[in-house]
Amino acid sequence: MRVQEGINSMAGADQFPIGMRVLAVDDDPVCLKLLENLLLRCQYHVTTTNQAVEALKLLRENKDRFDLVISDVIMPDMDGFKLLELVGLEMDLPVIMLSGNGGTENVMKGITHGACDYLLKPVRLEELKNIWQHVVRRKFRHRERNTNLSTEDPEFDKLPNSNPSHAQGQHGQNSSSDNSGRYSKKRKDQNEPEEEDGEDNGYDNEEPDPSAQKKPRVVWSVELHRKFVAAVNQLGIDKAVPKRILELMNVEKLTRENVASHLQKYRLYLKRLSAVASQQASLAAAFGARDPSSYLRMGMFEGLQSYHPLASSSQIPSSLTSFQATGGPLLNRSNPATLGLPGLSPSLSNNSLSSNPLNELNKFQLVNLPGNSYHANLLHDQLPSELSFSNVTNNALLPQTSQDCMQPRQSAVAATSFHAKPITFENRCLTKAENQSLEIPSSSNDIFLGRDIKCQSSIFNEESKLLSFGGASQNNTKLQWRQDDLHESTLLLSSYLDSQLPNNSCNTMADPVTIAATGSGMVQGLNGGVFNQREGVATSGIIGSSISGLTAMTNHDSQLKQREEYNLGVQKVQGGYGSNGCSMDGLLNSVIKMERDDISYSDGDIGCDLYPLGACM
Amino acid sequence: MDYVHLRRQAASLRKGLFDQGYLDEQFYQLEDLQDDASPNFVEEVVTLFFRDSARLMANIDQALDKCVKDFNKLDVYMQQLKGSCTSIGASRMKTDCSAFRECCRDENIEGCMRSFQKIKREHSVLRQKLESYFQLLRQAGPVECATRPNK
Repeated sequence: MRVQEGINSMAGADQFPIGMRVLAVDDDPVCLKLLENLLLRCQYHVTTTNQAVEALKLLRENKDRFDLVISDVIMPDMDGFKLLELVGLEMDLPVIMLSGNGGTENVMKGITHGACDYLLKPVRLEELKNIWQHVVRRKFRHRERNTNLSTEDPEFDKLPNSNPSHAQGQHGQNSSSDNSGRYSKKRKDQNEPEEEDGEDNGYDNEEPDPSAQKKPRVVWSVELHRKFVAAVNQLGIDKAVPKRILELMNVEKLTRENVASHLQKYRLYLKRLSAVASQQASLAAAFGARDPSSYLRMGMFEGLQSYHPLASSSQIPSSLTSFQATGGPLLNRSNPATLGLPGLSPSLSNNSLSSNPLNELNKFQLVNLPGNSYHANLLHDQLPSELSFSNVTNNALLPQTSQDCMQPRQSAVAATSFHAKPITFENRCLTKAENQSLEIPSSSNDIFLGRDIKCQSSIFNEESKLLSFGGASQNNTKLQWRQDDLHESTLLLSSYLDSQLPNNSCNTMADPVTIAATGSGMVQGLNGGVFNQREGVATSGIIGSSISGLTAMTNHDSQLKQREEYNLGVQKVQGGYGSNGCSMDGLLNSVIKMERDDISYSDGDIGCDLYPLGACM
Repeated sequence: MDYVHLRRQAASLRKGLFDQGYLDEQFYQLEDLQDDASPNFVEEVVTLFFRDSARLMANIDQALDKCVKDFNKLDVYMQQLKGSCTSIGASRMKTDCSAFRECCRDENIEGCMRSFQKIKREHSVLRQKLESYFQLLRQAGPVECATRPNK
């Protein structure tokens, strides 16, 4: 009856699977108790909860707290499949579904949502004895990816060069995937065998012993990301190959692999944006589509900062995709900034946190705010990456973006610098509202608009500051970004804004944020406090605040709703960040939490994080 | 000793439950999980079951009383109840739950009500028997926990 002891090479010297930490979720107390005991009998470490919401909270609090999640399908507070998706995206943990219904349809649904396994009730001990395999499998996959990262990247890089059509197809595949995170993983898996053949060749050229040496992690600062996005935009997203991008970027010590993995994330991010965008489309339409770009902007910066190749990449891509969809045009528009964003997304998604929380938020809350929601959604999904992208992507872009800001979405993305993101975002939203007859509270709009303009310029100025900020805390930000929670970025932003804005105009900019935040109650947390908490957090704070601010501003009605929704999660954030108050808190919280979780991802190559995110494949 | 007698009684009561189809193999699982670490596991789970199922059944009662004929809702409740029954091995109740769900699918409100009455009866009988069983066990002393039937 006891699980065999120790063993696994993956686990190393410890006695895995003994002591494997499982989180069990089931609303039926009888089943839950039974499950708990069965798991204890397998010598696992068990935590139980009968609420999916609670489970998510536990998972987000500490990403490393659990190795595996077992969840019932039918639960009153949240659909089991939804929980499954979120966990897969945000935390990249294996999830096993439990159900009394073993119909093919249900099982299929479980698998498509990323479940590692699907068990029927009543669960038997023998079945539970083997669930540790899913944890191992995932670790193996991650390790493989990490090891092969250098090899893969060159391959990845090579493919476009040597076989453009093939590469394109692959990329195309990747982007067309509806489950970006997972898909990217899949694609990677598919690529691996293909690449392995030529691997040696490429490899030797690039790095003599990639697997053996641990490459120092490249921190994708705002500046760097901006260059990256500029290069990508210049080449065209479809034709952007790592080698060319690298050439265009002309950054010392940046390798093609770095660019390749960053590009991968970026693509995922874009995908995610479009997915989010489509979600937000209706909302945005209502509001007249505030600037998605502003969201992007916000996210971009963050994304850059925390461009860890976080496992959560899968998350981000989806958000990015959706974002794109909504913004539709946002991403696809000529605005280079937007292009840049997608890149961020991947990184964001890596953080996995951002996308998820955002998505979640979006779903819950954005509905009401036409403009805000859109933004919010954007923020959620994309903030981390998007914002950072916009800012970072292109110094050159910035000027454009500010102009763009006035334009629907796209501009927003590019224009704002890190600081600006939140503010710009808001401002832009307002601006757009005005231009597009969005329903924005006039009073707030005015304020923002005015500031917006000022901010824009100041934003740029600040950007350098931001960048440096990002640079300094790159590591931190990276981590944060990983969280991919908007909250984080928001917080960061706000805090950063607060602490960093030397420029008067910047301060002005901050004001809008503050204003917005105030409206939503978010801003408070942003200032200072957030910043100090986590390097990355500052960013998110800002974003979060901006998001909330926007939300608050744009739509009073929706604000209420949003705020309420945000407030759900907000409370938590508040603690960390001071008075976020707004609904953003929830976002922020998640972001922040994610950050913490993401920190574990920081080591290793950039590229590796992408993979873990995918669902259990 | 009297303990022996009590234990024998408990064993036969238990056997009867299996023979009459009130309990199935799943109940063995519960018993297997009982050990020194959780000496009253089976009783705890069963108690939990009756408490939770009472709640669910009250919900179903209410839903049926309203005569709104919300079959979906009824089906959901019943699915939950069935899940619980399955977990502890309450075999007869499980069958009755399935029958109820069939009636829901057929949108046969009469059938649902009849079926539900049966479920209530089964529930009550099972509860009685299991309560007696555990009582006997307790009286028989900690020496002998639930044992597997010698089948």
